[in-house]
Amino acid sequence: MKHFLPFLITIATVVLVLLGWVQSGVVARERMRSSRTPDEAARLLLSQVQARKWDFAHTLLANTGEVEKAAFVRDVAGSNGSLLTYASLEKFDVWPLHNNGREATVRVKLHYSTAVGPLDDVRDLQVEHQGETWRVRWPTTTIAKVAPQVIPVNYLRWDVINRNAEDDWGVQNVDSPQVRILSMNALQRPDRIVILGEIVNEDTIPAYINVGATLLRPDGSPIAQETSFDKISHVLLPKQVSPYRIDFPGIKLDQVKSVRMDAKAMLVPASADPVIEVNRQKLETDALGKKVLRGDLVNQSGQIVNIPHVLAAYYDANGKVIWVSDGYVDQELQPQIPVAFAVDVPDDVAPKVHNYHVVVNHYDINNAS
Amino acid sequence: METGYLRRPIPLAAIVLLALVVHGPLLTMQLPLTTSYDANLHIFFASHYAHHWFDPWNEKWFAGFSQTTYPPLGHQWIAIFSYIVGLREAYALVQLIAVVLLAIGVYRFSRLWVSERASSYAAAFSVFLGAVAFLVYSAGQLSTMLSAPLYLLALPYFYDWSRSADGKGLLKGLVLIWAAASVHHVTLIFGSVLFALPVVWLACIDRHEGRSVAAVLTRAIMFAVVAGIGVGVILLPYWIAIIRHPIEQIPIPHASRSNLLLNLNYLTNYFFVPYGALILALPFVIWIGSANRRLRPLLFGFWVAFLFGLGGTTPVPKWIFGRAFEILTFERFTLSAALLALPIVGLLAESLLDRYRAVAAVGLSAAAAATMAIAMGWLAWSPFHTLSGLNVDSVVEFLNRNGHDRYRYLTLGFGNALPKVSTYANANSVDGEYNSARLLPEMTHYGSAQLTSAKFFGTAGMESVRAMLKHANNYGLKYVFVHDPYYEPMLAFAGWRKIETYDSGTVTVWSKEDVPPARPIQSDAMPAPWEGLLWGTLPLGSSILAILLALLLPDRVRATERVVEFPAPAGERVYAREARG
Amino acid sequence: MPRLITFLSLALLLAIRAHGVELRGPAQVKAGSAFSLSSNGSGEATLYLVGPASVSKRKVQLGSGIPVEAGEIEHAGRYVAIVCSGGDCSSANFYVFASDASKLSLLVHPSRVRVATPNAISAVAFVFDKFHNLVLTPSDVEFRVTPQQGPALTHSQPSSNGVAWVRMTSATKEGPTKIGAAVADASELRVVRQVASDACNLRIKSEWVSGKLFVQTDPVRDCGGNNVPDGTVVSFTKTDEAGKTTVDAPIKRGIARVEMPVSGEARIDVASGVVTGNELNVAGAR
Repeated sequence: MKHFLPFLITIATVVLVLLGWVQSGVVARERMRSSRTPDEAARLLLSQVQARKWDFAHTLLANTGEVEKAAFVRDVAGSNGSLLTYASLEKFDVWPLHNNGREATVRVKLHYSTAVGPLDDVRDLQVEHQGETWRVRWPTTTIAKVAPQVIPVNYLRWDVINRNAEDDWGVQNVDSPQVRILSMNALQRPDRIVILGEIVNEDTIPAYINVGATLLRPDGSPIAQETSFDKISHVLLPKQVSPYRIDFPGIKLDQVKSVRMDAKAMLVPASADPVIEVNRQKLETDALGKKVLRGDLVNQSGQIVNIPHVLAAYYDANGKVIWVSDGYVDQELQPQIPVAFAVDVPDDVAPKVHNYHVVVNHYDINNAS
Repeated sequence: METGYLRRPIPLAAIVLLALVVHGPLLTMQLPLTTSYDANLHIFFASHYAHHWFDPWNEKWFAGFSQTTYPPLGHQWIAIFSYIVGLREAYALVQLIAVVLLAIGVYRFSRLWVSERASSYAAAFSVFLGAVAFLVYSAGQLSTMLSAPLYLLALPYFYDWSRSADGKGLLKGLVLIWAAASVHHVTLIFGSVLFALPVVWLACIDRHEGRSVAAVLTRAIMFAVVAGIGVGVILLPYWIAIIRHPIEQIPIPHASRSNLLLNLNYLTNYFFVPYGALILALPFVIWIGSANRRLRPLLFGFWVAFLFGLGGTTPVPKWIFGRAFEILTFERFTLSAALLALPIVGLLAESLLDRYRAVAAVGLSAAAAATMAIAMGWLAWSPFHTLSGLNVDSVVEFLNRNGHDRYRYLTLGFGNALPKVSTYANANSVDGEYNSARLLPEMTHYGSAQLTSAKFFGTAGMESVRAMLKHANNYGLKYVFVHDPYYEPMLAFAGWRKIETYDSGTVTVWSKEDVPPARPIQSDAMPAPWEGLLWGTLPLGSSILAILLALLLPDRVRATERVVEFPAPAGERVYAREARG
Repeated sequence: MPRLITFLSLALLLAIRAHGVELRGPAQVKAGSAFSLSSNGSGEATLYLVGPASVSKRKVQLGSGIPVEAGEIEHAGRYVAIVCSGGDCSSANFYVFASDASKLSLLVHPSRVRVATPNAISAVAFVFDKFHNLVLTPSDVEFRVTPQQGPALTHSQPSSNGVAWVRMTSATKEGPTKIGAAVADASELRVVRQVASDACNLRIKSEWVSGKLFVQTDPVRDCGGNNVPDGTVVSFTKTDEAGKTTVDAPIKRGIARVEMPVSGEARIDVASGVVTGNELNVAGAR
């Protein structure tokens, strides 16, 4: 016993550690380090991207010589304060599309965790058979650059001087902006009620707005209260219209007698820049068969827009707002350079869409307030 | 060189002095408050008791939570001392008491297994234990650190009662167990398996001639039943809270649950640092522990605790704890393993000193000092840095002026500086640093811990923040303090506006205008007034009773000369001698 | 009010109990004017002066006039003076009314108003004395409206219970207008910005510059010919074979201008808020 026990304990510990090793997915991870199939090559590359091992990931490319490492890193990790710089690749799915033995195409779905919520990106990667292994051919994208120039911007700003605490009580603040809810439509979706519509700033000064809704029972008591959160453009310039959408998960329309809308507007310092053009808007079907509204964003100002946010309102033939969708764009908007966007439209809504209106909201690192 | 003193036990008073000399200055500098993860949390809890002794409902976190979800004794003693020296110093004082008690506890626990001399070495080593330095200065686990010595002190009485029906042992053991449970129930639950079972086993081995094992076991069970009933009564509000709201939240990831071999930093943090030079002694612990029949229970206890301390490195914790594996953190088991190993390490030290005298003394001292030095150095070298040292004065000042405390607030990127804000600000937060008390659906429905550290939990964390911000109006959540620009885009897109900036832009304040003042959020977790009365009296009462019993019923002085030989099998060396007066 | 009743009751009781000391004073006093209470008896006594916003206590000599300092009666309202000597107390009530008008608070609403809106502007003046007591006696408040161009208009309005007000129609021309009120030496001034109404006859035109199509509005004005303020958003929408392009451009220096890529035949229309303008049909790139 006295000689047997130490060995038993030692061996048992080693066996348990080995079991833990296997359970931790180390073996599976080791398999991931091979690239004997196009799938494995894509997984190997993405696992390195996930670990932010850029050097090694770059060496795994089939076209290492053609793709600059900096460009590759910019492609997968973002630059200039874009949304991707606030993101980490949480997981990815890979599935093959086509394989002829020498070349293959795999589709990857990248699930990012970002500062504004989850972000999914679907890409089709070309994979080549080189020697014994497969390697991903990374698309060589030439980064459009704007020629050195001066872009004159007539800065239009509104500054606010509020009353001082020492002022006489008769000295009022400037009145809050006048805003109006143009339309409101309550929809029953499979898992929720959605309140959507548009709001306009009717005033001659910018408005900082928040829209909320309270669902009321037949006896007038509230069922739930929600706000539009990020499904609205909070800063509205004079006469600007923004779509809004308020979701009430888990509630059925037949429980609701009425809806109380609440639009709060506040006077804030604001700037009329940047102006963002929304080009080539089209309703299309994407690679996954989903209906999307696609287009390009062009920043007409001279400063970088770090995180653009696209809000789209869809109208039926009667001009009624029937859906509002939104999406964050993972690239920054460089001056004058188009950046593509796509926002989802539910399949049952798409056939009814007669027109749409896109509003671009934005976050700038240097002007976050 | 005269080395006769190396053949004598170190006096307990000298060990206590050693603990005071080593940890006293570090705690006087209030090191854990700026380096550890949980010290500010304990101060926050204590602050509530200092202001509302009989009302455990604390509105400062989670829009209201019950402090009956965490045993109160450590916090209550901090609250008591805070009336004299202030909260921060009171924390340091209680922590110092814990470290001193640990050395005494290790000594007394070791005396069950090994000689007085070896026990004194074990106690001396406990002062330098990496796990102790890790838990005190890095983890800030005051409760574990305070309940463990109380539990160790109780075990010899448990042994005495189980082995020889010592009535005084029963009384003192029970009171100490109740006090230990009043500090930290989790330590007691695991301690009952890892520490108490080996002691029962030992009591069976050491039973008086003619006495049956059944009698020993019966007394042990009796002890356990009475202790359990006592703990049930003393912590009744806790059990009510836990039954009413069992922990059903989605598990929160913790590094101690991972396979440590896959990450060198985790391995260092949860293995090399807590064990230090003890790692070198592990083969001897196994060898010596196996060689002697009396030490085998201790060896098994150590082995199980060691495997638990490895977290997800082996599948054992997952097999044993099932779903609880995802709730527990496993760094505390390294302390248990180390404490269980110490008596055998004391024996090893005794043997080395006998053999190599001064060389061994120097070597052992160096190993002990290096163990603690590495643990302290890891505070600086570790890639895991706490934010407990963050200056939050401007945040507190903002919340305490111009009626800002009529609203709730949220911090983002403050890490464990959140409790510091909450302790000194009058306003209430929707967030909190104590995961088990979270009941708001915005927090429990996602697999993330504190909102303030949401980004480290990926999508789950950010979705949790998003859900909370969406319901800002419901909670009166008007102010968000940001210490990490990562969170700014979500706030900006969600309708919050930056209104103030502090500390050269490192902290920004964001506000939303349409938020109504906070109103109390109704909760069925609010304890009844009688629960508050119970909570404010029984736990503290158990500790005062323990102190009184220690003073009024002193233990019999153990003579060092009259030695009773253990009934060890022939051929086995006797490692421990029990001495009785 | 309950406090006042308590003090009055206390004073009444004290008056009933009083035997030796008697206190007399004027029925009304102007705020901030010193005066004397007369008393009989002799020796030292304690004077309590209970006012609507202050209570004071001091030692006084009976038999002669008890002076009440100006600073003790700055707040308008009912005061009770109680004098106690030994066990005897006596009291006197008097009323302090506001002093002469010397301050003004002016509330003007709204701060922005569309041009030519009837009765859209209200100006309310509150008349106070130098101690911030509302002057309840009628005072003539002179309201003065000073447009950006043209002579100022004045209107005198007596205050009633300390308040005087007027309603005004906004001018037909946009721009800031100053609205003031004056009483005695005090005057206050506010600014109301009169802004253009919605755009009227919104028109766009296009021009090619260096191969790029620029679309711009004519100067955007309301139906009264006022310039719509800069910053007002004008939405340009172009539809061509490439899809739809929208640009929300703010008016700068009276016009809104955007650059639009065009492929093939394109239709461009314009709107500002709920107002729509003309449509343009343009051919592809030149």
